[in-house]
Amino acid sequence: MTNLNRRLFTQGILALGAAGTSLPTLAQSGTRLRCFWWGNPERDRRTRAALDAYQKANAGTEVGSESLGWGEYWTKLATQTAAGNAPDLIQMDYRYIYEYARRNTLLPLEGVMPKPLDLSGFSAGARDCGKVDGKLYGVTLGTNSKAMVYDTEMFAKVGVAKLDAAWTWEDMAKIAAEISKVNPGKYWGTGDNSRWEQGFEHYLNQRGKMMYAEDGKAAFKVEDVAEWFELWDKLRKSGACAPAEVVALNTGAIDQYEISRGTAAMSYANSNQVVAFQAIHKSKLALSVFPNLKGGVSGHYIKPAMMMSVSARSRNPQEAAKLIQFMVNEAEGVKALGIERGVPGSSASQALISGDLDALGKAQVDYVAAVSKIAVPLPPPPPKGAGEVEKLLLRVADGVAFGRASVSDGAKQFFTDATNILARA
Amino acid sequence: MKTSVAPAGNRLRSDDLPAYLFLLPWLCGFLFFTLGPTLASLALSFTKFDLLTPPRWIGFENYEYMFLKDQRFGNALKVTFVYLFLEVPLKLCFALGIAVLLDKNIRGGDTYRALFYVPSLLGGSVAIAVLWRQLFQGDGIVNRALYGAFGLEGPSWISNPETSIYTLVLLAVWQFGSPMIIFLAGLRQIPKELYEAASIDGAGKLAQFIKITLPLLAPVIFFNLVLQTIEGFKAFTPAFIISGGTGGPVDSTMFYTLYLYQEAFGHFRMGYAAALAWLLLVIIAIFTAISFITAKYWVHYDDER
Repeated sequence: MTNLNRRLFTQGILALGAAGTSLPTLAQSGTRLRCFWWGNPERDRRTRAALDAYQKANAGTEVGSESLGWGEYWTKLATQTAAGNAPDLIQMDYRYIYEYARRNTLLPLEGVMPKPLDLSGFSAGARDCGKVDGKLYGVTLGTNSKAMVYDTEMFAKVGVAKLDAAWTWEDMAKIAAEISKVNPGKYWGTGDNSRWEQGFEHYLNQRGKMMYAEDGKAAFKVEDVAEWFELWDKLRKSGACAPAEVVALNTGAIDQYEISRGTAAMSYANSNQVVAFQAIHKSKLALSVFPNLKGGVSGHYIKPAMMMSVSARSRNPQEAAKLIQFMVNEAEGVKALGIERGVPGSSASQALISGDLDALGKAQVDYVAAVSKIAVPLPPPPPKGAGEVEKLLLRVADGVAFGRASVSDGAKQFFTDATNILARA
Repeated sequence: MKTSVAPAGNRLRSDDLPAYLFLLPWLCGFLFFTLGPTLASLALSFTKFDLLTPPRWIGFENYEYMFLKDQRFGNALKVTFVYLFLEVPLKLCFALGIAVLLDKNIRGGDTYRALFYVPSLLGGSVAIAVLWRQLFQGDGIVNRALYGAFGLEGPSWISNPETSIYTLVLLAVWQFGSPMIIFLAGLRQIPKELYEAASIDGAGKLAQFIKITLPLLAPVIFFNLVLQTIEGFKAFTPAFIISGGTGGPVDSTMFYTLYLYQEAFGHFRMGYAAALAWLLLVIIAIFTAISFITAKYWVHYDDER
């Protein structure tokens, strides 16, 4: 009796095991791609629409999709890449493409060009920013530049109908102080940009300086940091800039920015993000360059807002390339994505969507076109450890804003710690 | 059972086999998913490992950096201890207080017990952390209530480095349900005659609580203390969600676990994070050991009498 039971039991286990192994083979019929991006609800909606259109046109291809916020995205991507389980299509950033490409985790796209992927319509600049060591690893989904997003209604209230593109830091301080008087203690002129890397970088670029040197070391000096903190300290003390308590709630997601929370009229972001900002904002938004420095350069540069790469381990590189082609060159895909990821790299695609653009969309295209005329060259990609320096700035600048450190102590701390981080990375 | 009689050694084996077979799933899980990775992480703590390139052996460098150079490590420890020393006693007192109240057969006691337990079911979740963020920000409900009731202008509790940690303590204390249930079970075990005898002897309620309830409840208090201390060290989700993963403002909610996570998955220093994890293990072990050693002096069990 016991023997029989035992045999049955063992057979049962074996049968279960066999059933288990046969499952994956079932799932593999048909082509399956996985697409992964970081973004916001607006981007998710548009991307899923594009993927649906692609699947409809290509029966037999199934595209799985997943999206996360910026911070969690890189965590998950690194983990999946390390486990040999990276998605086929990876949204890639200029900040990370060198790291991923040089570790052979991305597919060089020369093998899938010009068919199915054809980038001949791209401007040289838009195409080549995806190159690492002479090979192409990423296709630009759109270009952007840093941009100040502002609430036109609040600006109108203080008599600024349209912001002059030549506005200066002094103009900014004045307008912001005026706006702060409209609803004192509840609403301020400007959000705090002292804590964001892109603000500090722009400030350096305006002065013909750089954040990072070619060798990956810090190219700024402790005096630069002190000047930057001082500038914002004054804005805070004059009441033009929102106080630390209000600003500290901004963790970097679009709905957490001061302008989105309804606590300030100006926030500092990227030109393509205006679409997502507007999607959750009641009154009309507009774009502007960051404040100008008298006698300085614009400090803005045009960069790929994000790229699409293919995993080196993708089982279907041809299919993956075909999907990228759909996103950047074919009418249906291009139209679904719109300019939420920035202005498309090819002029034909730009023409495709120009008819559908609303006023804000047109403003974004015009903005990128205008900035490209005054742009400074694209700096080399940030070195390893730059992501940590970005968080360091957030921490130290908040410390200064809360009055826990003086401007000069904060500057010293940021400079020393940033140098250490870059040396350790 | 008509199985043939086998030699003693053999029978032992054939009798054990089914037991091991049934244990197999758990055993595999334990070996491959718990013990294996645990040992691997110990090995990794002596390496530099960024996930994408193979680990490189660097000896004690991670531990050296941790103890000698890393200021954020010190801060993370400080934040965790402040949290722990506030949260654990407060939560236990609160849980005990409510348990004592519920122990008196009041009407609808069971309903209250269920209601008080609800936060513990919800507490660790992302939704509650988001809710907390809404409650305790500058224009949140808490400040509106303060203003309405007392005309006070409260700070933005959650985004002020002076107060942010207390919102997390409050969140933890609010989840007093599970120690409360355990206390309640403990209270029901105490013989009622003791209280009767004491009241005949003229002991007041307070004296009864100190002389009877606390000593007899000591084993349960001890159990809750150890459990809550370990839970406290492991706290992660609320700080992660409330601070948007930054541990901010200005590292004021940078729990040890959050720092560990950031080092591992934010900056891809897996080796260093593994070293941090092992130190956490040692710290928890020390705290548990201290609890057990001191327990001799204040916890006595029924069967020792």
